[in-house]
Amino acid sequence: MLSDREILSTLEMLKNEHLDVRAVTLGVSLLDCAADDLRRFLDNIHAKIQRLAGRLVPVCEEVGDRYGIPIVNKRIAVSPMAVVGAPFSGDQLIRAGKTLDRSAREAGVDFIGGFSALVQKGMAKGDFALIEAIPRTLSETERVCASVNVATTRAGINMDAVYLMGKTIKSAAELTASRDGLACAKLCVFANIPEDIPFMAGAYLGVGEPGAVINVGVSGPGVVKKAVDRALAGDPHLTLGQLSETIKRTAYKVTRVGELIGREVADRLGAPFGVVDLSLAPTPHVGDSVGEIFQSMGLAAIGVPGSTALLAMLNDAVKKGGAFASSYVGGLSGAFIPVSEDLNISEAARGGFLSLEKLEALTSVCSVGLDMVAIPGDTSAETVAALIADEMAIGVINRKTTAARLIPVPGKKAGEKAFFGGLLGEAVIIPVGGGEGSGDFVRLGGRIPAPMQSLNN
Amino acid sequence: MVAFDERGEEGSRMEKVVISVLGRDRPGIVAAVSGILFDLACNIESVSQTILQGEFAGIFIASMPSGISREDLGKRLDEGLRPLGLNVLLKPLEAAPDTGPALPSEPFVITTTGPDRLGLVASVTAVLARFGVNITNLKAVFKGGDLPSRNVMIYEVDIPAGIDQLAFRRTLREKAEELGLDLSLQHRDIFEAVHRI
Repeated sequence: MLSDREILSTLEMLKNEHLDVRAVTLGVSLLDCAADDLRRFLDNIHAKIQRLAGRLVPVCEEVGDRYGIPIVNKRIAVSPMAVVGAPFSGDQLIRAGKTLDRSAREAGVDFIGGFSALVQKGMAKGDFALIEAIPRTLSETERVCASVNVATTRAGINMDAVYLMGKTIKSAAELTASRDGLACAKLCVFANIPEDIPFMAGAYLGVGEPGAVINVGVSGPGVVKKAVDRALAGDPHLTLGQLSETIKRTAYKVTRVGELIGREVADRLGAPFGVVDLSLAPTPHVGDSVGEIFQSMGLAAIGVPGSTALLAMLNDAVKKGGAFASSYVGGLSGAFIPVSEDLNISEAARGGFLSLEKLEALTSVCSVGLDMVAIPGDTSAETVAALIADEMAIGVINRKTTAARLIPVPGKKAGEKAFFGGLLGEAVIIPVGGGEGSGDFVRLGGRIPAPMQSLNN
Repeated sequence: MVAFDERGEEGSRMEKVVISVLGRDRPGIVAAVSGILFDLACNIESVSQTILQGEFAGIFIASMPSGISREDLGKRLDEGLRPLGLNVLLKPLEAAPDTGPALPSEPFVITTTGPDRLGLVASVTAVLARFGVNITNLKAVFKGGDLPSRNVMIYEVDIPAGIDQLAFRRTLREKAEELGLDLSLQHRDIFEAVHRI
């Protein structure tokens, strides 16, 4: 017998607190599609995705209905294109990207990730081709997402790749100048990229993964915020330790939803269940914000002093609750701070509370990085590369994942707005300090060696 | 309580009775009932009670020893409980008809909130009955007024595997809309997953 409290509180989370399953991502391995004839390669990819992903969307709808919890986004993540498409040139890989786009559209999913390369220790032929193909692919397709891993704790930071990505980002922005550099919103540069992120734009299916797998991303910053508000309304003298406990329990509940639903989707599709990624991932909807949690906990806005400490606590509490809720927790799992996708964070940036430097500090304790950060269009490739390098260093030294999704908005300056639309939201352009003082450093190139932290045998 | 033994004393079948008790709630009701049953060597096999708006309702299933009749038991209960302001009803427990193996079904939870009005329970339960959906647990509280959270119906139901699920859902939703109710229909597992370790 269920208690009415259990039933009503679950319904409250669903109806008023934006509890949902944020993403169900089907990983499809394309390794067996490899061919050195382009036509055959494209046909193989298309056929495989069609075969495995054909039922993804209908099954997600069925399962969502059964439990009364919507699965908001259905996505596909494929093996890194630089690996499966290694024999091909940049131009040929653009065509592969378009095949991915078409397959995604036919499957009814909104994004397909995996147009990716892993170059932390150096670049191979396929990697060069893939990176060369990125700007045009992202500007000429709608659903393809790209990611490039340029650093790991074990390998160090490939500064040549970092510089190349700075130039690639600028190029992608130029090609989509009329859309405020939209292509860059689908491109992430990573350190220590996980192989099983269900969220975009970083999703790709790692080489150690099975032929098909279901990974689930839950979310629920709104649920966490409401839980904190309720707790404080009940007892205004709660301490941070007690609030941490509240957040932990809430994260547990949210993760359980993802686990149950993800397993059922996996079961019905006949694919193994991979992981639950229990990140607090906001959307531009009111009440679905990570930034608002900061305000509930006594900070005027995200970015003011105290924010890093609070984010550290929040990230940790989320992980603890989620880890108990599921045996297989993976992906990013923590709190996201995407500047454009969270209304409140975007406002904080506009109001001057959240500078690029503060964002960088926050990334040392949260699970993503400089995410959806719009910067002035005249920022040089060298400066973009330097920003990326900083972010990579934070990840490499701290043995965590960090990423940079930077968007230099062509023709716009700090303080102006960039509009990306839909889930990607809109962003205020943040100023980049330091002028053009990083060029000589970036041009030195080479590989920053792996830190001592990597020697842990 | 003594563990159930169908054969009873001297190999004779022990007769089972259902006793229902209704009255104003206060401490001591179950004690009074079970005291009388103990005195008459009746064994209580199961009990359940509910309290709504201060009114107590309890069902006892008990087995009677061979030396006492239902009439006697009924009289003794009445004598003992009427002075306490309690109404007692006694009937034999009929053996369940043999309907073959139970049809497979799945547990769902239907919740409605919305302004109070005449016919909410009747209308919703009519739809359930029409599709052969059995209610295993029900709690409905109408505090009145228009505030949705004050008027909640929670039905735990078993939906048989063979019915037309889509038609059932559709009919339920249409009925809810007609009644001005916000209705959710969800598999029970989601509530357990969220709230229980």
